[in-house]
Amino acid sequence: MRNELEVSLSSRLALYTAMLVTFVYCFFPVYWMLVTSVREPKVLYNTVSLIPGPFSLENYRLLLAATDYPTWFANSVFVATVTVLITLVFSVLIAYSVTRLRMRGKTAIIGTMLLAYMFPPLLVAIPLYTIFAQLGLANTHLALIISHCTITLPLGVWLLWGFFKQQPIDVEEAAMVDGCSRLAAFFRVVLPLSLPGITTVAIFSFLLSWTDYTFALVMIDSDSQKTLPVGLETMVGQYELRDGELMAGTSLIALPLLALFIFLNRYFIHGLAAGAIKR
Amino acid sequence: MTQSVSIPGAAKSGRSRSTSPQSLGGDGVIYALFFLGLALTAVVIIYPAFYAIELSFQKAESFISEPEWVGFDNYARVLADTEFWEALWRGIIFAGFAIVFQVILGIAFAMLLDAAIPMKRVMRGIAILPYLLPTLVVALTIRWMLNDPIGVITVGLQNLGFGIVDWYGSPTLAMVLVISASVWLWTPFVTVAFLAGLQSVPDSLYEAAKVDGANAWQRFWHITLPQLRPVLTVVILLRAIWMFNKFDIIWLLTGGGPLRSTEHLPVMAYRKAFQAYDVGMGATISTISFLILSVAVIIYFRLFPLDTKD
Repeated sequence: MRNELEVSLSSRLALYTAMLVTFVYCFFPVYWMLVTSVREPKVLYNTVSLIPGPFSLENYRLLLAATDYPTWFANSVFVATVTVLITLVFSVLIAYSVTRLRMRGKTAIIGTMLLAYMFPPLLVAIPLYTIFAQLGLANTHLALIISHCTITLPLGVWLLWGFFKQQPIDVEEAAMVDGCSRLAAFFRVVLPLSLPGITTVAIFSFLLSWTDYTFALVMIDSDSQKTLPVGLETMVGQYELRDGELMAGTSLIALPLLALFIFLNRYFIHGLAAGAIKR
Repeated sequence: MTQSVSIPGAAKSGRSRSTSPQSLGGDGVIYALFFLGLALTAVVIIYPAFYAIELSFQKAESFISEPEWVGFDNYARVLADTEFWEALWRGIIFAGFAIVFQVILGIAFAMLLDAAIPMKRVMRGIAILPYLLPTLVVALTIRWMLNDPIGVITVGLQNLGFGIVDWYGSPTLAMVLVISASVWLWTPFVTVAFLAGLQSVPDSLYEAAKVDGANAWQRFWHITLPQLRPVLTVVILLRAIWMFNKFDIIWLLTGGGPLRSTEHLPVMAYRKAFQAYDVGMGATISTISFLILSVAVIIYFRLFPLDTKD
């Protein structure tokens, strides 16, 4: 493995076989979802041909025309965007002040964030829903956004804490000696230097909010307020034989993520390696 | 400004000292930010958890009706309920099998991706892909692939001579289904962490082992695994916590069925709170589940202490 010259033909063959098996195992379900989504609805229940076709966008047309999918998509975009913004502002504030401050109890904040990683989703969802129901906020996007922040905020603080901690404070101090206020130094020096960390937090907060099913299931009741995962789930069983449209729907949920993944690959790897994303 | 007193031989700790902001203390803005952060943490993370515990001592007819304080009644009811113990056991089975397979497969994938293979970047992307997919997307795709009679796996198994497999009808198969789906979805977490860890193992160790005549398997067993023990300790801990708490994959694939054979504590808590509207009961199950998890984590730390750095 480490010494490539030694690798014999048979072990090379074994390696390629393992590669192929891994590729098929990891990729086939995604492939099948995409192939089904662009197959003509008429032949969907007559063939399991592994080769794509006959090609048709009818499933997508039906999905967008006959269901609330566009509304759910807009809801998902809205909820995820606001979640990302709130997470960024507050995780930067918390992580920055925790690393730049010397006082008792600051590690308690980090500890609490880590503890939040251990909370069963329903330990959070049941009390949150009760609170929102009493405030008359159940079934609103605000409720969903706040519940998403209970996962994204610990993630953001944890990741950025590691980031700010590594950053040399000297540059910041130099800026302040040169007459920058703390805020100016923060915006002109610290933020630009932390951009990779902040990008990672933005991506993963988006991912968590966009993919969330559990909180959306608990918080949202009415069809018009649903986000994509829960909305699509309600389509199941409502009508017969809609698997083509369902696969078109899941493809449209997954494609933005795939695009993000392809273009921002290194941030994903960084965040995953940091053990950041709770899933 | 701050100059740390550098002690010879302590260069590393000296550097990290200099980043500690003694000289910046007393800055109003930063204290304001700190307390804002503190307040937000309290409201969003600590308060709901405490409120869950409060709810577990109450009984209410619905989410908005006036609750009645019942002391430890809910706890007595839950602990006397055989459903609870069965659900706990099923959760342990589910999480246990899922973790074992995730770790074994994740290590295998990482070793493969670390080897001299063509198209490394593409392969790495493909191996991580499942982790990014929403659970719902995976669940719906799996349901479609298992569709009776036209799902691709159904037809494939038939062609192999297995006949029609009733995944949702048999308790064992339903459990196999949710475990397999969890393994497919969340293995990449292990892969990525192990792969990152592999990069830090010094090549000289492998070379020395080769000189001593160790074969590939021996090198893996005696060098790679021990070197990556700290990584594995953390990865297994995180996966164990998240699998034990996992709700969506089971809810979407089997709904806890058939006949509650895949119902674990999260599904049971959901059913009690949001279908039977027994909020106190749901909160109690979640609280007990969290207590059990905490105890397990403490025991785990005792058995496998982490190297704490700061």
